[in-house]
Amino acid sequence: MPERKGTMVVQHADELWRAGTRRGFLKVLGLGGSIVLLPSVFAACDSDDDGGITGPNGSATLNLTTDVGILNYAFALEQLEAAFYTAALAAAAFTGMTAEQKEVLTDLRNHEVAHREFLRSVLGSAAIGDLALSTPAVGTATATAAAILKNAEAFEDLGVAAYNGAGKYLQDASNLLVAGKIVSVEARHAAAIRDLREGLSLAGTPAGTRFAGDDVVNAQGLDVKLEPGAVLTRVGATGLVTTSLSIATQPTVTAATADAPPPTTP
Amino acid sequence: MDNNETILGAIDPEITDRLVTRRDALRQGASVGGKVAAGLAMASVPVALAALSKDAFAQTPADVTAVVNFALALEIFENEFYKAVLGTSASAAQNTAFAAVRAQVPAAAVPVFQQIQKHEAAHVAFLLANGATNSLNLNADSFDFSGNRGSGTPGPFARATTELQFLLAVAQAVEDTGVRAYKGQAGNLLSNRAVLEAALRIHSVEARHAAKIRRIRRANGAPAVVKYSGTISGGGAASAGAGNITPAPSAAVVAAFDAIYGGEENVTQAAKMITALPGLPNGFDAAAASEAFDEPLTRAQVVAIVQPFFKPTLS
Repeated sequence: MPERKGTMVVQHADELWRAGTRRGFLKVLGLGGSIVLLPSVFAACDSDDDGGITGPNGSATLNLTTDVGILNYAFALEQLEAAFYTAALAAAAFTGMTAEQKEVLTDLRNHEVAHREFLRSVLGSAAIGDLALSTPAVGTATATAAAILKNAEAFEDLGVAAYNGAGKYLQDASNLLVAGKIVSVEARHAAAIRDLREGLSLAGTPAGTRFAGDDVVNAQGLDVKLEPGAVLTRVGATGLVTTSLSIATQPTVTAATADAPPPTTP
Repeated sequence: MDNNETILGAIDPEITDRLVTRRDALRQGASVGGKVAAGLAMASVPVALAALSKDAFAQTPADVTAVVNFALALEIFENEFYKAVLGTSASAAQNTAFAAVRAQVPAAAVPVFQQIQKHEAAHVAFLLANGATNSLNLNADSFDFSGNRGSGTPGPFARATTELQFLLAVAQAVEDTGVRAYKGQAGNLLSNRAVLEAALRIHSVEARHAAKIRRIRRANGAPAVVKYSGTISGGGAASAGAGNITPAPSAAVVAAFDAIYGGEENVTQAAKMITALPGLPNGFDAAAASEAFDEPLTRAQVVAIVQPFFKPTLS
């Protein structure tokens, strides 16, 4: 893959829904680039800054200066996780998995769908739309038992990193509490999947430690964390989401700390 | 009746109609014009979970220093617990107390305990380096892991020092209590975002620990309520999954488990009943809804749970 990252500039809202533009979105996003929506795109709309702006699956931009924007960011991630597990359980490869693997994946599917529907419900009309997924990419991600487990691990560690990085941007204690209620469940998932995969003779973590290995918990005993921009770059790199996800306004509450990203999933 | 529709309807009934129409359209896979959809999304009202949440932070506001000091006490407790189990405590008496159960710990579980203990020790060091004070001068001898405050008579948790399944259930409870304690304090850290982020990053590590202990227990005969996914299913003593412990835990231990897991059965988040949400998979039940969200404990609840294991009086 070439390293060149692209930036697409969209001047008119109508462009977002044209087939050619959407193909461009995919290309740019796949390269880890960014989409710039000029102010005029929104000029036709009444701007009351609800933290989420969406079209029919073409794009979603997030205003991370508001709790609604942060919750929409979480909603996007939960949509991705829920869609992945839903596809995994319907995949042919699932039928050949062990009873333990099936139990874990079914639980994870249930929990992630619950997170998605909960966030959709609390966000109400402020919620971004449904993300569109790449059918071929989802198919590849769920083609084998090994692929399902590997991608599950990547998603769960990414989810932990995302919530750990975004929690500090929430302004309301009740919103923070809800995020906290979700992130520890993501961490349980991550540990379970990582532990399940320990039997695969993966390099990098001594036996018995993969659930919270040195690759995700640092010497200070702190778990992974990623700022939203880095998370969306990783999401883009999966090629699973064809909706362009971008950040219109970065958080202003506090300066970001250094990221502690999950490793490339072995 | 959907709460959102109620709120929206009170402001602008027309928006409600359009929103529902759009939602229905999306569910049916129909496409909606871009400008219409964008306009609808932006015409929304602000969402304030605060107004909806039943989980009010009703506890007394504590400053950041109080939170990190409290966290430090809990981390020292956890660290000393695992050191006693592993036989690496600075206290010979603690090492001796756990000798019987130590001999029963499977070889595969030793590196697990070592990894967890390493993290707890790191948390202690991190908190001390970031403003926490060990004002009670807690050390290895400050704890009575039988749960009787060092009175001389073994407490109800003494079986953890002689029975592997009991020990594992206690380790699970210790980790879950830690998760719940941090969760309950997060809101008190909003005035210091750096500390908040660090606390969140410790919080998720404790959750990873709890999940692994659950998986070890399930693989060693614990009932199915002890999920391989590492999540807490249901609430109260039943969710501790002590069914594989024989003889059954005493009433005092059951009461402790009830406190440790009390409220985890909650299926209503921010006034939304999770089991009643649309779009859930077939077979999604109250147990799944409880698993999907972990619940906090207040400082007072945590103190009540852990005080029996501390010789000094916590506040």
